[in-house]
Amino acid sequence: MGCDVVTVSTDTHFVHLAWQRCEKELAAVKYPMAADPTRDVSRMFGVYDENTGLALRGTFMIDPEGTLLNSEVNFYNLGRNIDELLRKFKANLYMKRKTNEVCPSKWKDEGDRTLVNPGAKMVGKVHEALEEALQGA
Amino acid sequence: MSVQEATARLGHRVPMFELATYDPVKGDFGTFSMAGQIEKKRWTVLFFYPADFTFV
Repeated sequence: MGCDVVTVSTDTHFVHLAWQRCEKELAAVKYPMAADPTRDVSRMFGVYDENTGLALRGTFMIDPEGTLLNSEVNFYNLGRNIDELLRKFKANLYMKRKTNEVCPSKWKDEGDRTLVNPGAKMVGKVHEALEEALQGA
Repeated sequence: MSVQEATARLGHRVPMFELATYDPVKGDFGTFSMAGQIEKKRWTVLFFYPADFTFV
């Protein structure tokens, strides 16, 4: 999809190697596994938990210019929904090309109707605009 | 790794940083560079998780 996924934990790259070679679930892993043993990058993104020395489950989408467009942080006990992450990533890709459109919560993929020009005309009329978008979908 | 003292914020350029990596495709170590991503005009998804040898 024209995107580089990089996983990050506070383990070293040596441990990443050992884990990837040992764990059969990871045999198909294609993305680089980055090491943040100093916790500097985890702190930078606000996911470092000082109580444990570990990084929380944070996902960050950065555009080709280096701008942070999306952030999601879950606590340890809540897993991430890959479908929702993909939805958000596709929406960001789409809005990069269609800069006058916004993707509402139910937007899923290219071709779905979006809210165009969320300007003065739409103030107080979001309900009607959403109805129209849903009918067109 | 090296990093400037800074915080990533939504809607702003992220601070530049580099991280040592293990690349399973190459079976070798490497470096992830934020500046390199911008140079190559690539989208990036950073996926933080607590620890190796646990559920991700």
